[in-house]
Amino acid sequence: MFRKVLIANRGEIAVRVIRALREMNIPSVTVYSDADRASLAVRMADEAVYIGESPSAESYLRIDRILDAARATHAQAIHPGYGFLSENAAFAQACEDSGLTFIGPSAESIRKVGSKTAARQLAKAAGAPIVPGVEEAVAPGAEAHRVAREIGYPVLLKAAAGGGGKGMRRVDREEDLDSALRDASSEAERSFKSGEVYIEKLVPRPRHIEIQVLGDRYGHLIHLGERECSLQRRHQKVIEESPSPVMLEYPELREAMGEAALRVARAAGYYNAGTCEFLVDEDRRFYFLEMNTRLQVEHPVTELATGLDLVKLQLEIAAGKRLAIGQKDVKLSGSAIECRIYAEDPDHGFLPSPGRILQLREPSGPGIRLDSGVYPGWNVPMDYDPLLAKLAVWAESRPAAIARMRRAISEYAISGIQTNLEFFRGILADAEFANGRLHTAFLDDYFARAARDTGPESDLFDIAVIAAALHATAAKPLQQVPSASGSAWRRSGLRELMR
Amino acid sequence: MKRVVRFGERQVSLEWKAGGGRIAAVIDSRGYEVSVLEVEPGVYSILAGTRAYEVRVAGGERKWMVQSGGKSWQAEVIDPRAASARRGGLGREGRQVLAAPMPGKVVRVLVEEGAMVEEGQGLVVVEAMKMQNEMKAPKAGKVVALAARAGSSVAAGDELVTLE
Repeated sequence: MFRKVLIANRGEIAVRVIRALREMNIPSVTVYSDADRASLAVRMADEAVYIGESPSAESYLRIDRILDAARATHAQAIHPGYGFLSENAAFAQACEDSGLTFIGPSAESIRKVGSKTAARQLAKAAGAPIVPGVEEAVAPGAEAHRVAREIGYPVLLKAAAGGGGKGMRRVDREEDLDSALRDASSEAERSFKSGEVYIEKLVPRPRHIEIQVLGDRYGHLIHLGERECSLQRRHQKVIEESPSPVMLEYPELREAMGEAALRVARAAGYYNAGTCEFLVDEDRRFYFLEMNTRLQVEHPVTELATGLDLVKLQLEIAAGKRLAIGQKDVKLSGSAIECRIYAEDPDHGFLPSPGRILQLREPSGPGIRLDSGVYPGWNVPMDYDPLLAKLAVWAESRPAAIARMRRAISEYAISGIQTNLEFFRGILADAEFANGRLHTAFLDDYFARAARDTGPESDLFDIAVIAAALHATAAKPLQQVPSASGSAWRRSGLRELMR
Repeated sequence: MKRVVRFGERQVSLEWKAGGGRIAAVIDSRGYEVSVLEVEPGVYSILAGTRAYEVRVAGGERKWMVQSGGKSWQAEVIDPRAASARRGGLGREGRQVLAAPMPGKVVRVLVEEGAMVEEGQGLVVVEAMKMQNEMKAPKAGKVVALAARAGSSVAAGDELVTLE
């Protein structure tokens, strides 16, 4: 096993990998930018190396600096997390060339399926069904117009090197194609250093379901079942679960999709952890979308449903161990749900809400798992993704898991910045969510039908008014002393009022 | 003590007396007698009879973020004696200031000073947390001031474009 591992990432996923390493007794090295000097990952890691300024192009995307950091600390392997360089074949290659183990698939596998267009070609050849569209990146202008017209509107533009909805645009009308292409391409360029965009047919009201695959370096490949990721906003997943509600009804779909995913993985000569994403239409026909050649953000629901630790398995596979489990050993039990807690403002179109976290109360108790990258006093930087934490629960059934998640959310409080916590309370109480008929436009429909409950006449409202007035009045002497919120000054102010 | 509290969309008047760790309050015409304890900085445990509440208040100089029972509100607390002095002086007729909706970076400026713009036309693109937000003209008009510069950082509420 490795004597030391470097994590080329930040935020909650860096913390997640540090935890696995610590359980395996392997020292961890994290890297950090200016904005992340005080991050939870830096606080928790055994070693931390500065790699540059806050913009990711100057730090977390700098292959040279990350390799220097690994050499300087004598790390033997690099875990790339997700995002940043995790699906960058050049990075995997550079690790291999420097004698470092890249904890993931080979650079060659990444090249084979890393671009969505290449993955589509490969899937087609391997016999996995794909969404109608083009396999090549399209050039803007007349060529794009011709292709889109042939496929038929509405179409979806996607970044060839992308993921997570970055560089993705839905286009309903031809007159919107040029500006959408421009936006998608520039967003793709910034996020993935490749502005290539391709076009495919939009499947109406599909489920987004993905299959986790896992393989060792000796050709033994298995799948770990599915994750339902249909609840998305702007193509960013918000809630994920395993098993999928549709598989509870039609378990044979899991076998069919699992087999398709393995076919793609085999064709790519894949090892380590990877994920095949599919769309599933209302008649339960499924289409391969792309393969993510890394650990997924939402891996905790698979871990909870299967009882396996994916990060530890990734490390063992990378170290050359054989995968000890076979397909028959994989059983999904109970129900796991994950909510992605984002720094964003649901009242203002979910705009990002970076800033300092002033107060934090985290949920705990039976069946709760919290993968968080923040703490009270942490200044959430504006330079990166707004993901703060992932709250996951496990329970014996889907209704019990939903009830548990509602309880967990009721214990969770973050102040100082806006978050989407309140949004989850609504969605978890929604009857349509409970019946499990999910699709990727589910949230659009939900927002349309769920009038925001402001509850102005409730006692809760009045009690909150009292607390606010008291707090503001007691804080009076403080207004000349910024940044001292909650100090002894304020407390004495409150005592004075209450006397 | 009297206060006017602007709470989310609503404005309520509040009158309270405090003493012995208890507060007697009247909000509009509803009366409460509650026990209040600040259990952590900005975190209040409030008992109204046997009913237990926890309220979190954080942030600002005059504006506070208030959270309880999974709901959150933006609150502004006004001393009614000082309130009248602050009124007036708001937006001049026909002039529209477009402000940054979030802290971030101006990635593109799509207009020039003096240009005539259509309603809904994109003016400035602001990016934060990898998300781009195109600010559109709220009405047709002329760009009379352009504070936004491509590449510069902005705070929430910073003026970007002024239309007339």
